[in-house]
Amino acid sequence: MIEQFQHKATNSFMLWFDNYLLKKGQAYSNKSGSFYYYADDRLDDRFKAFGSPYKQWVNDSSIAGATVPSGVYVGGTFQPRSSSLLLDFNNGRALISGAASTASVSGSFAVKDFNIYFTNDGEEDLIVDKKYTPNSRVFSAAASYIEPYDNVVPAIFLSSQSINNAPFSFGGEDTTKIQMKAVVMAENSYQLDGALSIFADSFNEVFPTIPFSGNPTTEYGDIKNGTYSYDSLKNQYNSEPLFFIEDVVTSKLSDKARKSLSNDLFIGFIDFEIHQQRVHRL
Amino acid sequence: MKIGNPIIPQSVLKKARKDSAKVLQSQVYESIQREFNIIKEQMIRDFLSLPVTQEIMGGSDSPNISGTLAGGGNLFGFIGFERSDKPIEPILDLLESSSIVIREGADHLVTITIPSAASIFSATPMPWASGRSWAKGIEGGISGLGFYIAKSDVGRSTAGVQSTKKVKSGTFKRTQYISTFIQKYIKQFSSIKSSQLNLK
Repeated sequence: MIEQFQHKATNSFMLWFDNYLLKKGQAYSNKSGSFYYYADDRLDDRFKAFGSPYKQWVNDSSIAGATVPSGVYVGGTFQPRSSSLLLDFNNGRALISGAASTASVSGSFAVKDFNIYFTNDGEEDLIVDKKYTPNSRVFSAAASYIEPYDNVVPAIFLSSQSINNAPFSFGGEDTTKIQMKAVVMAENSYQLDGALSIFADSFNEVFPTIPFSGNPTTEYGDIKNGTYSYDSLKNQYNSEPLFFIEDVVTSKLSDKARKSLSNDLFIGFIDFEIHQQRVHRL
Repeated sequence: MKIGNPIIPQSVLKKARKDSAKVLQSQVYESIQREFNIIKEQMIRDFLSLPVTQEIMGGSDSPNISGTLAGGGNLFGFIGFERSDKPIEPILDLLESSSIVIREGADHLVTITIPSAASIFSATPMPWASGRSWAKGIEGGISGLGFYIAKSDVGRSTAGVQSTKKVKSGTFKRTQYISTFIQKYIKQFSSIKSSQLNLK
């Protein structure tokens, strides 16, 4: 199947959401330190994984002040990104070809205050059933790597709830209405209130349609062209139809309900109604 | 003796017109007021007969007459209300507060005010997340979270939320509720002659 409207909507929304949170909230912290070797059987044999204690590094150079790494120090020498050194921003690690597992690897990077994930799970699955590895952004991390692939908290889980069309103008133009939801899992109420406040103010914001081909990350979690800026990407697609945030409602899981959960997370919800005018019958 | 047409003084004519207009006006006003009362009563009766309203008013023992839940249960429990909650009352209060004002000499003789869908959504918070509206959720979809949380005192586990029934196999089926209902009565009230409709 070729890429459909829903795919583009999801991709565009996720890129916008990530940038909006980082930019408006300066929701990142710069870190530096050692990386730790671990075996990863999912990884191509060519590479060895050296993980940092944090997942989801900032890869967007349009975020002022955030350290977006372009390489790491191996044995005290800076090695830039190359075909034998990849940076996996999602899992917070460097993938190095030809390095010994005992190599001393270190680097600097900005870690997001919230990991961002797209999910098909319902709210009850996310909040009640799932168990998450904490990857605190407040307390110092242990001097070790964070396991790759699994979801960690604090995090925001995005999902697409529904989509429907309503007539907009003569000639077959419709308003496509998309309900997007975000479940925010924070370490403390300050963090939660901050995220909810930022997105409550996203009412009437617009963002362009960006197809999958415009997604900046590779299969290794690295940046496709060595550098990524959401602002530049947005300008590249500014002739594409815009998405418009028609309505946004934020709410928090009540304290009574929160206390009945087995985890100690602060939970909030952001419900977006996003519109785009389209002629989709041609 | 020839008697011509009597000459009625202008001041007498003016007063006669004014007096007759007053009589007619009061009859028109009464008729408008009566029409408003009929539509208002009909609106409240109509609201009380909606399947979602009836199911929620039925409380925790009600069957799922709205057909919104596949896999058993009812809306009252699914949304997660406390047994003593009366979730429909705030909506009824808003509908009851619909009003009509008849002003003499104004551009619009009659002003009718009824609640908007948005004001009803504001008055119907989810029991477990007050920023969200359960009434809006009926139209847009509700997760099963309320069910889990409402059942937190049930079951063996004391460490977490536990459901006695498997609800994940069931899904919530969205249905029309407040928005369509209010839209219908905007049309009804607008049909009253010389009226201007306000939404509060």
